[in-house]
Amino acid sequence: MKRKVKGKYNKLMTACIIEVMALALTACGSSNTGENIVFDGNDDKKIVNLFGPMEKSKPNTSNIARTAFDRTIEMAEEELGLTVRYRTYTAENYQEKTYDEVSLDRVRNDMDDLYLLNPDTIQALGSEDKLMDLSVLDSAKNLREVVKTANTVDGKLVAIPQEVVAHGLFVNKDMFDQYDLALPNTPEEFMECCRVFKENGIETPIGANRWWLENFVFAQAYARLYNGGNTETLIEALNKGEAKYSDYMRPGFEFLKELIDKGYIDAEAAYTYEAIEGEGPDFMAQRTPIVMAYWSAANSETAYGKLDFNLQVIGFPSELGQMPVVSMTGYAICTGAEHMDDTLAVLDIILSDEALQLYAQTNKVISPSKNVEVECIDALKPLNERINENMYVLGSNAGMNVEQWGNTCLIVRELLNGATVDECMAAFDKLQEEALNKS
Amino acid sequence: MKKKSGKNIKSSLLISIIFVFCILGAIVFSVARKTSSEMFDSAINNLRDSLGLVKGTIEAVLIKEAEFQDFIAREIAVSDDPYEFIRSYNTNQMITRISLVPEGESEGISNTGEIFSESTLDFSTGKKVGELLITQSYLNDMGTWAYTMKCPVMKDDKKIATLYIEYIFDSFEMILPDNLYDGKAMLYIMDSKSERLILKPTGMGERDAGHLNLTDFYRANNIMKGTIQKEVAKTIGDGNNIMFKHDIRGKSSLIYMWAVNGGTFYMIGYVPIEAIQQEGRSVNQSIFIVVLVMLIAFFLCCVLYYFSWKQQDAIRKEQEAEREIYNKQLADALHAAQIASNSKTTFLSNMSHDIRTPMNAILGFTTLLSKDADNPVKVREYTKKITASGQHLLSLINDVLDVSKIESGKMVLTIGEFTLNDLVSSVDAIIRPMARKKEQNVYVTVIDINHEYLIGDETRINQVLINLLSNSVKYTPEKGNIWFRIIGQKQRSAQYEHIRIEVEDDGYGMTPEFLKTIFDAFTRAENSTTNKVQGAGLGMAITKNIVELMGGTIDVFSEVDKGTLFRVDLELRIPTEQADRQFWQDSGITRILAADTDPEVCRSIHTLMSGTGISVDTALSGQKALDMARHSGDGGPGYQAVLLDFNLADMDGGDMMKKLREVIPVTVPILLLTSCDGKDEQTEASPMENVGFLATPFFVSAFKEALISLRPAQDNSKTKTEDDKTVISGLHFLVAEDNDINAEILSELLDMEGAACEIEGDGQKVLERFERAREGEFDAILMDVQMPVMNGYEASRKIRSLNRPDAKSIPIIAMTANAFAEDVKDALNAGMNAHVAKPIDMDILKKTIREYITTK
Repeated sequence: MKRKVKGKYNKLMTACIIEVMALALTACGSSNTGENIVFDGNDDKKIVNLFGPMEKSKPNTSNIARTAFDRTIEMAEEELGLTVRYRTYTAENYQEKTYDEVSLDRVRNDMDDLYLLNPDTIQALGSEDKLMDLSVLDSAKNLREVVKTANTVDGKLVAIPQEVVAHGLFVNKDMFDQYDLALPNTPEEFMECCRVFKENGIETPIGANRWWLENFVFAQAYARLYNGGNTETLIEALNKGEAKYSDYMRPGFEFLKELIDKGYIDAEAAYTYEAIEGEGPDFMAQRTPIVMAYWSAANSETAYGKLDFNLQVIGFPSELGQMPVVSMTGYAICTGAEHMDDTLAVLDIILSDEALQLYAQTNKVISPSKNVEVECIDALKPLNERINENMYVLGSNAGMNVEQWGNTCLIVRELLNGATVDECMAAFDKLQEEALNKS
Repeated sequence: MKKKSGKNIKSSLLISIIFVFCILGAIVFSVARKTSSEMFDSAINNLRDSLGLVKGTIEAVLIKEAEFQDFIAREIAVSDDPYEFIRSYNTNQMITRISLVPEGESEGISNTGEIFSESTLDFSTGKKVGELLITQSYLNDMGTWAYTMKCPVMKDDKKIATLYIEYIFDSFEMILPDNLYDGKAMLYIMDSKSERLILKPTGMGERDAGHLNLTDFYRANNIMKGTIQKEVAKTIGDGNNIMFKHDIRGKSSLIYMWAVNGGTFYMIGYVPIEAIQQEGRSVNQSIFIVVLVMLIAFFLCCVLYYFSWKQQDAIRKEQEAEREIYNKQLADALHAAQIASNSKTTFLSNMSHDIRTPMNAILGFTTLLSKDADNPVKVREYTKKITASGQHLLSLINDVLDVSKIESGKMVLTIGEFTLNDLVSSVDAIIRPMARKKEQNVYVTVIDINHEYLIGDETRINQVLINLLSNSVKYTPEKGNIWFRIIGQKQRSAQYEHIRIEVEDDGYGMTPEFLKTIFDAFTRAENSTTNKVQGAGLGMAITKNIVELMGGTIDVFSEVDKGTLFRVDLELRIPTEQADRQFWQDSGITRILAADTDPEVCRSIHTLMSGTGISVDTALSGQKALDMARHSGDGGPGYQAVLLDFNLADMDGGDMMKKLREVIPVTVPILLLTSCDGKDEQTEASPMENVGFLATPFFVSAFKEALISLRPAQDNSKTKTEDDKTVISGLHFLVAEDNDINAEILSELLDMEGAACEIEGDGQKVLERFERAREGEFDAILMDVQMPVMNGYEASRKIRSLNRPDAKSIPIIAMTANAFAEDVKDALNAGMNAHVAKPIDMDILKKTIREYITTK
């Protein structure tokens, strides 16, 4: 027995000595075998320059959307062995150049390879033939038709999004319940809700910023155009000048005007507010029951992802009921891109089904690929149901000869700044006339 | 106390180890800290150097740009068409616009062909690069951050125009480090007036940390402390550098803001301290690993030492335990020796008393004998008492000698075949009279014995039984009961009969204390009741030793005033051939009837007779026995013998015999089973023909002898032969005896028996005398062993070697006080025929002599 124990000690001791020797040898070892102690890496790195907006981040948090996007970029970097360099811009305030303006400048001067562009910019640059036709990409074959439609200019697919951005009304359902209010479907019902809130001491029932009020206009303007079964004919009439954009837009503007006049929207504040940053705190503090935002804001902690009340995201009021407004910020490549081939390859990877699945799953958004489906959170279900019913309007349509998203936004700002509805309609007429003249 | 001291030592050792470790830890910690601090300082210097280098490079670029602009201005001054010069200039990666405004005019042209006015630019900061004013940073038409420097165009010392050249910050990307601190450091360029972050070098830093301006930088990195922000503002206002510590995303980091061109721009950013201290951390890790390895080694040593110590401790404890056992054994031995010594002292005292008592009687009666020599009645009485005292003295001496032999390991068993019948009979014959004197009842039972012929030392077994039984007789009061049982046990081997002998009494019993020492030599239970009992106190020691020598066990159970039970277990070999088989075959008996009320007896008869080939029918009542006897002849041979219990429950013994005799022929012997002292039965049955007695317990050998005894003729001749065996009259012996008294006694004794003898004083003389003797002059030689000149053994050998016809045949009988078995063996080896121990028992001597002298 003793001998056995002794044998065990010996084994243990031998193992320990071997371990110590191994450690000592490892410590003494060196991987440097030559005389030169400087090792230069390969400086001929392949790069792709990406220009995109920069979101102001909260302290010590990561932006989910950027993270999801980053993960798809990482896929591309790993697969292609290159580096995607970020160049970013965001206006500090409304007096500064907007991101769209800077984008236009940069694309026109071939400053970068790959751009994340808003619909109005896509439309403008597509018309100028400054963007590459992306229909050559393999990933383009998987796109939903609506995505292709919204991003096709002069027959060329000039941009492709990573998500279909659906805008909706973010409502504090608890506050609606508090005042026995049903969620509004029509403009009239919406107006009534605002009246009740106002009468109950809610100073500004609608939290607005300078970017997204046009969604009210689109919902009322194009509810029938996109859901009436003759969309192409109606758009063709607009492009030919047989119908006027202002006629479509007027009800929405009048509606907004009424909201402003009745004090349901603080026009002055809205004119200066950046998205979420301005109106967000009041909404989160339950001082404002209604704001508008994009789909992902309901998931993102930097937006409305973590609230203390029952959040519901519904469509904007229209004569056809709640109407989601779908717009798409898309990735585009400028025709003068310095690293064209690599950029195309990067785009093909970040728009592949695999990458889009990762993106959609991370952000819980609607994917542009018809092959990718993900579950959405409860708060988004009312909006999702309408989209699944194919009841939505497009906030941007590159097929329309007058750019919608950016122009309407700017004209709404004029309204906020005190312009009349007629003046606003005149601005649309002017834009349509310019477009007709151009063609 | 020892334990406590050991505990203290352990505690001290532990405290010492902890103390050493504390010191070691403190040293390692201080060394690591010092190393870390030095490394940190070095890293900060390194960071300062890096930032200074970047700053210097940027400033050098700005200076070069200013010099270049000055050069262009001079070129324009000498140019014939300055506007054409401007228009012809192409932009590049650094310069995006060149504009010229003639002196005295508010507008000029750019190389892009556009009208240019200084009012679109902000030179309000008053910052200069060299001698040239530089604007605040702005977003240019290309959507990128830019700055413009203005330079006067001088011709003939007269300012003729102002040259504006726009440079873009993107060109700085080339000169900023790609991978500062493994990409863990962030580096922005900030316009110091607008505090706008105008350049974030691509591919550097964390992708999701796109900061807009200084406020956003503060907010994103949670630098919200007013004092810091205030100090930063002051430092930036003064155009100085600042570096401070702050946690960014849970990591302690260094925030730096480095003024470029006297504070026109700032390089701002942060780097986690762990990124700077990588070398320090590596060194610390190395120190830690070394310390850890040392600790592990130390602990391993401790563990090994501990196990080794534990092993040694275990060995030490084992040795201590062994030593304790030895000490205990020694103490026990000492105690035993003391007890033995005491016992022996007591024994000597007892012996002195016990020997002196009979000796006193012998000497006393001898004196009386000499006085009353003329009175034959008294002479007989005295000699009888002298003989009794002598016998007692002899038994004492025998016991002492037995113990002596046992203690010296010289006791040897004399193995031979014997029958239980003889054993029981002889023991019964000795004990029963002793018991009768005290009116005690002795019950003898033999049950479940399969073989009554066994191999063993009958004498020693006899000795054991007599010892036990005589003890029972001694220590049982008058009219007490003694049970002597021989019980057959389950055989462990077919070759051995396993028997249990029980001797039980309802006597005085023993105390538990005495029971512990009962088998020790020289002990004797003494109390007021038993102190009159004589004995050396050696009987039980001898008994135990004999039993153990036979491979058996002996146990005793006793309670004071209730009685004692001795239990002896023995395994005795069974002879391959049971004796008397031939007798039974020749006897013509094939079937017998046994009638006894005790089923045990019937069963015992059945078992014992099984080896004889005789069929045994048993009956538990007289009537049944009669019926069986009556019908025994039906269809076969009848009974050839009947064993009958005289005391049957249902029938009187006498009547029974008569009735039995009516149904069986007179030629069939009837043997009445009686107790050993069944004198009544014998009286009643003796007139009947062919009726004998068989003492219970039943034994086949006894049965055989009883049957023989019923044959008168044979019996007479046998008796005669027995008598012949004891007659030595007329014989002439040559005796070797050196002791005159013994010689005289022997001479007288032989003379009393009608025999003559010639006595020689030593072996040599005997030899010579025998040589001289005529052939047939002596019938035998009685040879003492211990003699002067020549001992008995040598004399015998020499006699046997003599060249005369009777030298080989003359019986030589050793007659010596050397009475041990080995003495007997030595005697036989020396050529003697037999051995008779002194003191001489004439009966034994006669019997022995007659065995070797057939006729005279």
